[in-house]
Amino acid sequence: MHESRADLFQRLKRRHEFWLASVIAILVIFLSVATQGFLTLQNFFDLLTSYAFLGILAAGLLVVLISGGIDISFTATASIAQYITMLLANKYGLDWFSVFALAILVGVLLGAINAILIDRLQISSIIVSIATLNIFYGLLVFVTGGKYIYSLPSWFGKGIYWFEYVDADEISYGLNLQILALLVMFTITWLLLNRTNIGRQIYALGGNREAAQRLGFNVFRLNILVYCYMGLTAGVASLIQAQLAQSVAPTVLVGKELDVLAAVVLGGASLAGGVGTVLGTVLGLALLAIMQNGLILIGVSSYWSQFFVGLVILLSVSATALSARRKRKGNLVE
Amino acid sequence: MNRRETLKLMGATAVASISGLPQLANAAGQEMVVVVKIAGIPWFNALEVGVKKAGGEFGINASMVGPSAVDPAQQVKLIEDLIAKKVAVIGLVPLDVKVTEPVLKRAQAAGIKVITHEGPEQAGRDWNVELIDSIKFGEVQMERLAKDMGEEGEYVVYVGTLTTPLHNIWADAAIAFQKKNYPKMKLATDRFPGADVTDDAYKTTLDVIKAYPNLKGILCFGSQGPIGAGNAVREKKLGKKIAVVGTVLPSQGKSLIDDGIIREGFLWNPTDAGYAMVAVAKLVLDGKEIKDGIEVPGLGKAAVDVANKQIKVDKIMRINKDTVDSLIKGGL
Repeated sequence: MHESRADLFQRLKRRHEFWLASVIAILVIFLSVATQGFLTLQNFFDLLTSYAFLGILAAGLLVVLISGGIDISFTATASIAQYITMLLANKYGLDWFSVFALAILVGVLLGAINAILIDRLQISSIIVSIATLNIFYGLLVFVTGGKYIYSLPSWFGKGIYWFEYVDADEISYGLNLQILALLVMFTITWLLLNRTNIGRQIYALGGNREAAQRLGFNVFRLNILVYCYMGLTAGVASLIQAQLAQSVAPTVLVGKELDVLAAVVLGGASLAGGVGTVLGTVLGLALLAIMQNGLILIGVSSYWSQFFVGLVILLSVSATALSARRKRKGNLVE
Repeated sequence: MNRRETLKLMGATAVASISGLPQLANAAGQEMVVVVKIAGIPWFNALEVGVKKAGGEFGINASMVGPSAVDPAQQVKLIEDLIAKKVAVIGLVPLDVKVTEPVLKRAQAAGIKVITHEGPEQAGRDWNVELIDSIKFGEVQMERLAKDMGEEGEYVVYVGTLTTPLHNIWADAAIAFQKKNYPKMKLATDRFPGADVTDDAYKTTLDVIKAYPNLKGILCFGSQGPIGAGNAVREKKLGKKIAVVGTVLPSQGKSLIDDGIIREGFLWNPTDAGYAMVAVAKLVLDGKEIKDGIEVPGLGKAAVDVANKQIKVDKIMRINKDTVDSLIKGGL
């Protein structure tokens, strides 16, 4: 069927992603004109690298939110995964494959604990994950005594660089471990949600749990899958964070839950479940990242930066809300 | 109360109730609890060692607690718990002096003594103990940065948060010193927060490098600042062009110091700081008059400013290629 441009625009206007992308586009145009450093390949790579950790976690949390649950214990999961993995890597050598396998294994196991508690006891997921956040983190700090791991295996410290490129100022950039992991995890999440039967079941579960159960979905299996996937992303994220920070600190990751949650919800995922897209999450994350980055580049005093971050979030969310309201009114008239 | 402390407390309570003599725990000595900025990081672990050591030596039941995240509201909560527990002395390393002021005043009204560290502007305290002179500490680091920058060019300053009291006093002193002595140097923009968290300092540095291409120096007040900034500078291979100077822990900064990225680190010994807080608490509890030149047990003579409730013992620690290994051996 042939669609006119006006129709396409009308359809787009109803999408949350459209409004988010518009706000980002305006920001990008403004920052490109106002600063020299913003619209450069180097800045693009830097942003991807420094937000990869939050991004990978956001991908995992998106899946949980769509399924109608919530998980805030993932930062503690990540801390444990990274601590155990790096401790063993220092002791036994290991290699890239085994450190990732190990971190993912730890993440998945801890995710499974969440899933079993939430599904079997029928307690709300936020309470369970607040509890497990405290248990996981408390145990980690208790067992490790809060000690940092400063020296990582040298192959790990060096990281991975593909297509390294050195520019005129001798600053090098390329596809590094962080960016690779971010791309891979977003792709897998997209495939999981959009190209598999399980993905549709996850949407259905979040949309209406009762209906999903009556349709004969195995809710327990879906929950296991969702929370283990969150654990998996936490495992992956924890390693690329350790690589970037060149150390493992048991206390630095916990506390970042809200940054991740903010990105996912800003990206249109609903806390009530059933709604959310990978594209939206990418955009939500991009908005937060570009704001922080742009404010420094443009030279806004740090004393003002939080104010502007809040303002832009409010603007972009209102744009969506207004369009949704107009849509509802329109429906009534028809 | 942090989690570790809760666990310990639960353990202690269990032991006390089993022995059937719960009062004994209180009667054993006066209790002092030091509230720090965040629990579980190496800096405050080292401080805790000093608190415990002094507690043992002076017969004070001294311990340390801290919030799980850098959040002044959580400090308030911890202090409220301590007031309810009726401890004899509260020690505090404040995050935000305005936020903790009312609750400290309540503590004092309840007859609890308040000893702060890194809190020269904290109202509602009996004494503030420093191991360094704040102005001098800022100036010494600026002097070092200026030397590495050839006394000219642009630099930026990081602090823990824009309201962390001491970080900002050091920063003010350093910037004032630069304006007076190094006219060819220039502060590129207002100071940045984030020097307490490696990831934040890293991100900020990547952005700053692009926003100010002529940047020659980064001065960080906050123990993770030089690490995050150093990692970014090393990654961008800018170690020769940009000098990083600031407060850093020897064991954490070693590789960056060895690589010449962090030119020099400055600190005082956190174990001494913890020790000093308890030592001063001892003097206060014993009702000794505190005046200039007083001998603080275990630390030596102190400069005392009675009107401003300041006690200073001069102990700046310089961390560079020559000193880093011996300091690490000392457990820092």
